[in-house]
Amino acid sequence: MLVAMSGGVDSSVAAALLRDEGHDVVGATLKLWGGASDSGCCSVSDVDDARRVAQVLGIDHHVFNYTEEFDRHVVTPFVEGYAAGLNPNPCIECNRHIKFDLLFERAERLGFDAVATGHHAQLASTPDGPRLVRGADPEKDQSYVLGYLTARQLDMLLLPIGHLTKAAVRGHAERVGLRTWDKPDSQDVCFIEASKGREAFLRSRMPLTTAELVDVRSGVVIGTTDAAELMTVGQRKGVLPDRHGEKRFVTKVDLGARRITVGRLEDLLTSTIDLDASTLTFARAPLTSGARGWFQCSAHGAPLAGVLEESDDGWRIVLDEPARPVAAGQSVVFYAFDEPTMVDGAAIVR
Amino acid sequence: MSEYYFDHAASAPRRDEVADAMAPWMHGVVGNPSGSHRAARLARKAVEDARDVVAQLTGAAPGNVVFTAGGTEACTLAVAGTVRAYHRRMGRAVIVHPPTEHHAVLDAITMTTSQLGDTSAHVVGVDSDGVVDLEELTRALAGPSVALVSVMAANNETGVAAPLDAVATMAKAAGVLSHSDVVAAALWTDLASLAPDLDMLSLCGHKIGGPVNSGALVLRSNIAVDALMPGGGQEKGRRGGTVDVAACVGFATALALANAEREQVNARVTAYRDELATALSQLEGCVVTASSARRTPGTVHLTFAGIASDELLFLLDQAGLYASAAASCSSGAVVSSHVLTAMGISPERARGSLRLSMGAETTARDVEAAIDIISAAHRRLRGD
Repeated sequence: MLVAMSGGVDSSVAAALLRDEGHDVVGATLKLWGGASDSGCCSVSDVDDARRVAQVLGIDHHVFNYTEEFDRHVVTPFVEGYAAGLNPNPCIECNRHIKFDLLFERAERLGFDAVATGHHAQLASTPDGPRLVRGADPEKDQSYVLGYLTARQLDMLLLPIGHLTKAAVRGHAERVGLRTWDKPDSQDVCFIEASKGREAFLRSRMPLTTAELVDVRSGVVIGTTDAAELMTVGQRKGVLPDRHGEKRFVTKVDLGARRITVGRLEDLLTSTIDLDASTLTFARAPLTSGARGWFQCSAHGAPLAGVLEESDDGWRIVLDEPARPVAAGQSVVFYAFDEPTMVDGAAIVR
Repeated sequence: MSEYYFDHAASAPRRDEVADAMAPWMHGVVGNPSGSHRAARLARKAVEDARDVVAQLTGAAPGNVVFTAGGTEACTLAVAGTVRAYHRRMGRAVIVHPPTEHHAVLDAITMTTSQLGDTSAHVVGVDSDGVVDLEELTRALAGPSVALVSVMAANNETGVAAPLDAVATMAKAAGVLSHSDVVAAALWTDLASLAPDLDMLSLCGHKIGGPVNSGALVLRSNIAVDALMPGGGQEKGRRGGTVDVAACVGFATALALANAEREQVNARVTAYRDELATALSQLEGCVVTASSARRTPGTVHLTFAGIASDELLFLLDQAGLYASAAASCSSGAVVSSHVLTAMGISPERARGSLRLSMGAETTARDVEAAIDIISAAHRRLRGD
């Protein structure tokens, strides 16, 4: 079986556990980003870490170059998404297109029976086949970024560390003598240098729009921004409170009109999330209109109860309680209502 | 599992004769060749014996062989060492080269031009085989302040040979110093008679069966070279640091072996190369790169349409066939090649690159096995 080894501690331990179970294990590190980087998962030193872990474990290790595909499927859509006023999640796109489309296809061509990753998520066996469920460590659960996996991919996937806490993973790595045992978690988008930030990256690839910030109630211009693409609905940073000191948030971004509308919390809350129907993906049987579920809108956001509905206007989620809006381009992952750890599907917000 | 080694261009198998010659210099007391006592004198004699061999086999005076720790250092010394010396006397300096040079040369040029003020590179084009355009080269050499021209004797990825005689003669006529990275050509070429007008050539030990970290910059005349590491003034002030006796002995032994076996090995391996090219070009989508160009006997570069090198190399590795895609970065990933780009080969084609490189150890059985293994991998990846 093929283990995708990022050079981090989780996939190191995933490889170690599979080897200990007696499997014939080959490690592969995906080289994704060819440009400058100071974080994330594809620098030369991360490849070195993965290779060294493989050596210590006594398994073969290969480096697969996906830099062109990464640029095409992840970086370019990220930039184009921002230019179109969306808020894309590049990690989801990378998992979806690179790790679980291209790598799985490659693994099949090369004769592997299964592909393992070091994600904090688990597989539950059900009469319909394996289902994705949340990782055992609630702080580290990564089922959200795997929300688009299809039945066929789940059949071929192994998640050897999903039943462990992060502390247990690190403990195992230290006992086995893997040099990644105390390596910090990667937090940031791997192709954006943390020292320079998202704005500098986007500015190097596209012009950013200046816009006025307008109060939704009074219509008064309360300020300007020189990077409207970076303003997200629900955002408070960069928005002044009103004269009574009440916090204001971005309620709407209109790049065409160069206008960011801001308002108070009650102007912001919404009960509906509109979905891009073309992105609807279901883990097993498609959900039908009216299905209740838990809906998670960011990697570590709290799941919200609601109903998935198909209307004349397309698919949407109607929440039980009003919540902060979700920016277009973000992903919503659906969890089963009566089994709140089990992933049912996912879609992108429009 | 049987193993078939087709990556000589990355690192050639170490010759037993080389290990045997080095052994006495890897145990117990080995004098510092710069010292004065008997042990030091013995060590110095071994170094100078090795230097005589290299000088004789490369058409240079012994005093103009500078031992280095490999080909990259030799190329860097040739570029940075001569251009710094030129720049100190003359000011503005221009370095002329084709885009297909090895990174040992390209990165030395970048380093030199970024460190010295008023110094720049002039890139001369190549044709679709990667052969330097001589008319463009003539014009470039006629430009002002040209300090150096560097053209590799044979390309490490494709094996395509350069018209080095003409290049060196043109450089001499223009009063420009010439350097050639002969690392990929050394095993196959009589270096003593190679391009008599050439001023400098860089050599690397482990590409010809010698040890890694051995090599030389050979100066065909007394050329001013600024040391990269002045150190203690060894190698006539051109390369500081204690001279590695074992490395020098191993390198000279490998070079002498290559020279002694050359005619026979060239004939045999040329036949293997052509057999590989003929058989593999039958595979659907497979094209032999620069097939009509003059090439070294040991290298066959191929591209496979619709196949990724990563996958092909994985299956070959599983079957015990060790080859490469020629271009890889420091992480070990296969990256697109600047050589193929300069030749006008599309990125889609370049993605399916495979380089098979051979040497004196390659056998007819290896070649048969390679054809079988590659054909099987090709069938599998195309889903036939």
